[in-house]
Amino acid sequence: MLSSTATEALRSQVASKWQESFSRINRDNPGISGLIGFSEAWALSVQFLYPQDIRVSPPPDADTYERNLIAIRPAFNLVSQCRRLPALLENFLEDMRKNFHFIEAEINEYMTRYDESENTNEIEALVARLVQWCHAWEPPQDLDSLGATILSSYTLNFQTRVFSALPANFTAAFKNLCRSLLAPPPYDEDGQPRQWDSSIHATTWRNFDFLGMMDRYESIIASVGYEYIEQHVLDTCTGEWSKPMLEDLRTWMSDRVVPWMLHVYARGATSADEARTMLQGVGSRFDFHINKTLCELRTREIFNIIIDYPDSLGALTDLRDSLHRTDQRQNLVKSLRNANRKRLLHPGADTKLILQQYVATIKCLRIIDPPGVLLYKVADPIRKYLRERPDTIRSIVASLVGDEDSGDSLLDESEPVQPLQQHEFEDYTDPNWEPEPTDADPEFRTKRSSDVISTLVSIYDSKDLFIKELQVLLAQRLLMLTKDGSDRVERERRNIEILKVRFGEAALQVCEVMLRDMTDSKRIDVHVQSQKTSVVHPMIISTHFWPALESSELVMPGQFQKLAEDYAREFTVFKPDKKLKWLPHLGTVQVEVELEDRTLSFDVPPLEAAFIELFSQKAVWQLDELMKAVGSVARSAAVKALSTWVDHGVLKEDPENTFILLEREEEGGSSGIIRDPSRLDSTPPDVPPVASVQQQQAEQMRVYWKFIEGMLTNLGTLPLDRIQTMLKFAPGYDQSVDQLAAFMEAARREGLVVVRDGMWKLNK
Amino acid sequence: MEQLTSSLAPPRSAPKSNVASSSQQVAGSVAKRLSSELMTLMMSSSPGISAFPKHDGNLFEWVGTIEGPSETIYAGLSFKISISFPPNYPYVAPTIKFDTPCYHPNVDITGGAICLDILQDKWSAVYSVQTILISLQSLLGEPNNASPLNPDAASLWGNPTAYKAQLMKYYRPITDSA
Repeated sequence: MLSSTATEALRSQVASKWQESFSRINRDNPGISGLIGFSEAWALSVQFLYPQDIRVSPPPDADTYERNLIAIRPAFNLVSQCRRLPALLENFLEDMRKNFHFIEAEINEYMTRYDESENTNEIEALVARLVQWCHAWEPPQDLDSLGATILSSYTLNFQTRVFSALPANFTAAFKNLCRSLLAPPPYDEDGQPRQWDSSIHATTWRNFDFLGMMDRYESIIASVGYEYIEQHVLDTCTGEWSKPMLEDLRTWMSDRVVPWMLHVYARGATSADEARTMLQGVGSRFDFHINKTLCELRTREIFNIIIDYPDSLGALTDLRDSLHRTDQRQNLVKSLRNANRKRLLHPGADTKLILQQYVATIKCLRIIDPPGVLLYKVADPIRKYLRERPDTIRSIVASLVGDEDSGDSLLDESEPVQPLQQHEFEDYTDPNWEPEPTDADPEFRTKRSSDVISTLVSIYDSKDLFIKELQVLLAQRLLMLTKDGSDRVERERRNIEILKVRFGEAALQVCEVMLRDMTDSKRIDVHVQSQKTSVVHPMIISTHFWPALESSELVMPGQFQKLAEDYAREFTVFKPDKKLKWLPHLGTVQVEVELEDRTLSFDVPPLEAAFIELFSQKAVWQLDELMKAVGSVARSAAVKALSTWVDHGVLKEDPENTFILLEREEEGGSSGIIRDPSRLDSTPPDVPPVASVQQQQAEQMRVYWKFIEGMLTNLGTLPLDRIQTMLKFAPGYDQSVDQLAAFMEAARREGLVVVRDGMWKLNK
Repeated sequence: MEQLTSSLAPPRSAPKSNVASSSQQVAGSVAKRLSSELMTLMMSSSPGISAFPKHDGNLFEWVGTIEGPSETIYAGLSFKISISFPPNYPYVAPTIKFDTPCYHPNVDITGGAICLDILQDKWSAVYSVQTILISLQSLLGEPNNASPLNPDAASLWGNPTAYKAQLMKYYRPITDSA
């Protein structure tokens, strides 16, 4: 019962719908004539819109098309009147779907040809062909016929189908095409770039735009631009450090890149201003990319750039500017640290070289980053490494006093001499105070004004080490002077005066005394000589102020002894309260050796002179006899001294350990050669006569010892682990508990500390 | 009303936390200064004066030792002092007192307080632990009898024998248990 009612209602509804549709299509025409008319119009419309295969039936020319359009318009109007346009569109799109395989086939043809030839012209042709298809199938768009809605849904539908029909490798092919389109015209014979003709590819660009490819492949087009920029930056800037390149690159971009950017990003711009606005976003992206590429390139090259400093100033300016725009500071630090580790901080590199590179790094990074955060991060490993090198202090001090022989000093002549900077404390009352940069480490200390020397000296925690080394070095240099070295003394004095500014007057007092000894010696010598002429010109030094000098048991034989004694007597007359203690092994002796057939003169060390003096007593000596005659000297030193005379052809060794004076020169040098060269190998290298300062390790430990002494003085007795934690107050303390235990044990053996029940205390 | 105050509360507390963090920074720079002073003091090897932080991790409390200068009445005696640095050091002088009882015109015998101009109105940021210790050491031999904290000692100063007896009556040698 219920169902029959429902069926009843349904039936009446269907009937009314039917009636409605009928009357709409029949348009109140008699009978079904209206219906027939609509049916014809529908068929015509479908026929007109039907997507043809343009390969077999090319689209009609414009005139024919226009005529056809006029003919079909009444049919369209009728369909539209009957409100059947949506159905027509649906039908049309369905026809298009069915026939789309024509286009697909053609796409495949082009793509196959492209795959074979890799010729981007194929792609260009394909795009042009797709535009043809699109135009051929396009429904008329004027308002009189079908209207814009149908056209736009057609366009969308067509593009969607095209994009889904394009094979995967089309993207790559498209990119290649863009690349060839965007490539600037080749340089002409004169090397001048040809005028960019922006209209060459305009059609293709319009085609791209028409098919909606510009939007879809925008990232690809941009990536072509990026790659183009990268290529250019790498080509022009790699290894070019002498001048800043960034400006040139910007000019290049506005000359060469902007024109094609106009095609891509400013299409449809009507005025220059409009184009400029449209280009603004992409322009700054490209500019950023130039900065980034350059920055990355320079980051890779940074180590060599630093080596080339100051010739690489341009690159550094570039780097500074591009770092401002791109956030690459961390990368720069990482790259430079890596390069330093690989290329600098290894046993193969000379300490002097490392120092030079360090100084160059300081200077370079100051240009890039004046506050010094980057420098702090980069320098840290170098400083740690240098601290472990035994000859670092020596090298720094040598360059401080300006070794003329080495030529390349670490010091910049132009840098003003200023006092060493101690750790500075933030002065918050300074009106120019600035906070530390955001990427600064917690330990970072602003070193705004500190000079290179301060930085080098600060590698070590205490400048005492430098002062000591300085004294040693000065002692060495002064002791090497011969009697007419007064200008050298003057030079040393100037050095010390300069260093006084850096290290302070008090620190260099000892050096001052050493220099005064030199002038005093001279004065005393003048006086003594005026009383009694002597060939001896001693250098009189104040033992307490000079570094420990190597002692020797050398006793000068014969006339030397007498000369020294005579001189000492005169000296005592002049300075009754002082006594000369000779160091006969230091100094040089000017000897003239008169032989039967020749007279030779030499400047030789005292030991050599002593030996040759002995040969004036008799012509043949045994090695042991010789050694006994000059007090006591090391065998190796004796052999070395004798070999000097053998080399000069004054002595001859025959047989071994027996030396004969050659009154007459022997023919043929072969006999003059020491028989057994292995004896010479044991000769110690020419060590400076000054006992060298303790190794840095020991020096570091000395610093720690001061701390241990300090804490034990004030805190009484302490267990080992407490000492270890308290030593954290000592800067740079990095010893393990075991190392400390060994150290304390050594101190105990020396009687400095005592230990009871694990508690250490000072031994008073 | 309650709503009003609660909505006001966060901005009120915000500046507070700022103050805290900036004072932490200041503490950092003071610690830097103190650690550098410690380094200088350790390396200076001035005879008879020494000081060291009391506990690891705290640079603001130090223990010092001063030996009486030779050829003074204090020769051969050692005195422990404690040094406490204010958070705004070096703009404000550290607080120093004798832990070992010190019979001296300018030292309070019970509390250990010291009357020394550079620790009070003459303080300047250029002074350091080392200069303070040296000043204290010389103060032992050359008291300022004009402004005594310990009038007995000041009056006895002219009589070395009696003075020494008083000094030794109060003096307690330093033990290792310190």
